[in-house]
Amino acid sequence: MRGLHRLGFLLLVLAILAASLFPFLWFVLTSLKTQVEVTAIPPRLVPSGSLAFYRAALQEYNLLHFMKNSVIVAGFSTLGTLFLSLFAGYALARLRIRHKPLIMGSLLLVSMFPQISIAGPVWRILDQLGWLNTYQGLIVPYITLTLPLGVWIMTGFFRELPRELEDAARVDGCSHLQTLFKIIVPLAAPGVFTAAILVFIYAWNEFFFALLIMTQQPYQTLPVGIALFQGQYTIPWGEIAAASTMATVPLVLLVLLFQRRIVRGLSAGAIKG
Amino acid sequence: MGSQRGSGVRFVRRYGGVVLVVLLIATLLPAGCRSKENPQEAREVKFYTWKPNQPEVWDEVIALFEKEHPGVTVRREIGPHSSTAFHDLLAQKLKNRSTDLDVFLMDVVWPAEFAAAGWARPLDDRFPPADRAAFLPGTIAANTFEGKIYGVPLYTASGMLYYRKDLLDRHGFPPPETWEEMVRQAAAITAREPEIHGFSAQFRQYEGLVCNMLEVIMSNGGHLLDPGGKPAIAEPRALEAVRFVRERIVGAAAPQGVLTYAEPESLALFVQGRAVFHRNWPYAWAVANNPEHSTVAGKVGVSVLPHFPGGQSHAALGGWQVGISAYSENVDLAWTFVRFLTSERIQKRLAIRAGLAPTRRVLYDDGDVLAAHPQFGPMKAVFLSAVPRPVSPLYPALSHILQRYFSKALSDPRADLAAEARKAAAEMEKTLALMR
Amino acid sequence: MPADRPSQILPPAGREEHLFAVALLFPCFAFVGLFAFYPILSSVYLSLHRIILGLPGLAQPFVLFDNYRQLLGDPVARHALGNTLLFVFVTTACEMVLGLVIALVINRSFRGRGMVRAAVLIPWAIPTVVASQMWRFLANDHYGFLNYLLFGSDLPAYRAWLADPFWAMLMIMAADIWKTSAFAALIILAGLQTIPDELHEAARLDGASAWQRFWRITLPLIRPAILIALLFRTMDAFRVFDLVFVMTQGGPADGTNVLQFYGYKKMFAEGLMGYGAAVSVLVFAVVLAVSLLYLKFIGRDILKEGSR
Repeated sequence: MRGLHRLGFLLLVLAILAASLFPFLWFVLTSLKTQVEVTAIPPRLVPSGSLAFYRAALQEYNLLHFMKNSVIVAGFSTLGTLFLSLFAGYALARLRIRHKPLIMGSLLLVSMFPQISIAGPVWRILDQLGWLNTYQGLIVPYITLTLPLGVWIMTGFFRELPRELEDAARVDGCSHLQTLFKIIVPLAAPGVFTAAILVFIYAWNEFFFALLIMTQQPYQTLPVGIALFQGQYTIPWGEIAAASTMATVPLVLLVLLFQRRIVRGLSAGAIKG
Repeated sequence: MGSQRGSGVRFVRRYGGVVLVVLLIATLLPAGCRSKENPQEAREVKFYTWKPNQPEVWDEVIALFEKEHPGVTVRREIGPHSSTAFHDLLAQKLKNRSTDLDVFLMDVVWPAEFAAAGWARPLDDRFPPADRAAFLPGTIAANTFEGKIYGVPLYTASGMLYYRKDLLDRHGFPPPETWEEMVRQAAAITAREPEIHGFSAQFRQYEGLVCNMLEVIMSNGGHLLDPGGKPAIAEPRALEAVRFVRERIVGAAAPQGVLTYAEPESLALFVQGRAVFHRNWPYAWAVANNPEHSTVAGKVGVSVLPHFPGGQSHAALGGWQVGISAYSENVDLAWTFVRFLTSERIQKRLAIRAGLAPTRRVLYDDGDVLAAHPQFGPMKAVFLSAVPRPVSPLYPALSHILQRYFSKALSDPRADLAAEARKAAAEMEKTLALMR
Repeated sequence: MPADRPSQILPPAGREEHLFAVALLFPCFAFVGLFAFYPILSSVYLSLHRIILGLPGLAQPFVLFDNYRQLLGDPVARHALGNTLLFVFVTTACEMVLGLVIALVINRSFRGRGMVRAAVLIPWAIPTVVASQMWRFLANDHYGFLNYLLFGSDLPAYRAWLADPFWAMLMIMAADIWKTSAFAALIILAGLQTIPDELHEAARLDGASAWQRFWRITLPLIRPAILIALLFRTMDAFRVFDLVFVMTQGGPADGTNVLQFYGYKKMFAEGLMGYGAAVSVLVFAVVLAVSLLYLKFIGRDILKEGSR
């Protein structure tokens, strides 16, 4: 019975791996082809190993520049949202405030607003502030749009933590802020890292606002940059494939780094019992 | 937590939140903050354009302008090359009266919309009729709205028929003159050649669909809007043409997949040697004959599109023009730039180096241009007869209605053509009524 | 005042606690107020006017609910609403199930777990516009990998997946499920990791089977996580845009036309700002309705205070 279980599990893992990776692998293969091979009919499985697309993506299409902008925007957005969610989440989970359902609910409302209805007025506000084509012009809307998710996750996490630890700390004379930083935050690590990944990837992926707000090349983020690879009547599949491959690698590394932290954050003995 | 830290702790307790917020904003503001721009340098032209297919040529042109006008710089902002995305972003800026741009490019169907909305500045005083006569008449018509002119044509394009010269020669066929002939030739050839389709074109639900269908409908003597301005897609001639496409082309001479093709996919089929005939814009010539992109380089012929018996061949007019923003604070300089870009020598340079078909008639008799692009010779007749799509400030809405109708007609074999056409015509009429 | 379990140890909430709470919450609401609430109100205001950018001569009259009246009678909007609802329910259901399975799998300890986690996140880490182009490339009827996978070199058998309204919608849903299952997986995983191992150990010692352990221990404890994932995923699915914009532009024959895309075309492409705003308010209203249903039936206690 054990063996069958193990086999079943292995098959499941393989299935998950295959489903997640196969479209992306095809893209990687495409990036190693020559221009004529890309649209070969029927498709050719084995590429000729040409690096021409990578060269083009880096030199002509300025990929690293777009990635840098994305890292800056996504990074600061994540920090900003984490900061604010941490505080808000703690307040909502632990402090005695009135109208909690109203507060949580109104934050949730924000996530229901369609982008097309917010985009125009946000653009006008940013224009007035002179923040179009600046990093903060994109960071601030991103923080706004990811706050609901961040706050809800943090609130959920903080609520799960046992009160005894905080009560002990308070009895010892710690202020709220000290309690927050010394006791709660370390315990909330899984929540923090989860929220961090979610926000980072949201900002990394986001296209609509980035397209509207960053219209000048020095500030454009990755999705906009790659979308602009497209010519009027041409879609440079090869270059797009090469760019996507290169852009995904650092993200994968980042995730591999983070996911170990999540596991470690768990084993803090304080949670159990 | 002894009392000697009491006061510090109390401070943090009280003001901690506020301090954090201030810190956060303070760290964000300097990041990438631009100092408020100096009042507009009178020597800078802000040009909103898309990324060119041959960037070196454009860089040279801009550099030439800056050299000939010392002290003046051209600041380019690059938008998406997809026509619809470019339009939406440009409209967003102009709608908000941005002073961020002086000169911008317009696709051939936008001048009326931009004119009516008050976004493009009328150029009548600087671009008199005498000057306009040097340009292809269709391109001038596309830039004219209610008697005034709002853009200067930069380069033109229109649909043409590409074909596999080698295959036609092998079977002894001349380039087809009617659609029926094309379909029959395609059937004969595909019966004998392995794994090849007859025809490849653009029938996805987007603007290009309107171009393709316009060409077929008008070549049967039909119209999208009749000369009186009323929707004519429910008229017999238009219906006949649509029926022809639905029954004899989509899923017959052409693969069912043409319903998903825009220019890139349809051209890919042709350059991979999988289509006998292909409808596309002039740019396809260079791609199809480039061995790095095409397996049929050197085997390609080009001619005017077919028509129906008793009708005439019509090609949809494409191409781009240059306009000046109504909110520009720099009109004289902007006009200098516009006049430079559309001048004979620059159009000649763009034609020879970037393959952009000129809008000045005289260049079609120019030896250098024809030497570099011999296909421009036969194309001249096509360009001269090219028809603009309905010139209306509400064109985008009309186009969406037409796209919806055509896509439904072609993808659903059970759709009642006449009924759908009447519905679409009624919707178009309702939209047009807003103007009266 | 919601029912509090009064703490026996601490003094009652004082001014200092209230001030602290306000300080913690204020920045959130400053951001959200300016960049979210003000714009949506502005949008609602817009939807009460008739605005045609191409015809400024018609001015921008206040028409109250005319746009909404027109919207209710608009067959294209009805069709788009249907497409959107279909998209939301299918993708959300699939993503929740797949997310749960994936989370359960990568929660277990096994060699190479880190690699599998990274692999699962790759689809999600690719920007949506790129992934959409990729799926469009994959679904091509001649050089698409999907056809090659299914039919090998048998060219005549190849299908034009995006040429038929039904299959096109399926492809869009497949692309979204492929891309976003990781979202649910991540949230549920975080929930799973707060369950102490001892609980499972104790249950196993008591003789509970894996299924019983799942049903009676795991599932109830991850209910908050599931709810959050479900809620946010649903709200995002209603607002789907990038996929349609790149893959099909709403076609063929409006078969994949979704509400937000329709609103975008009206607002940005056709310049009918008022009507487009009304469409977007409709999206908001539908999302609100569905979310309230979720909260009522699944998570009544989530909004209120209350620990385990």
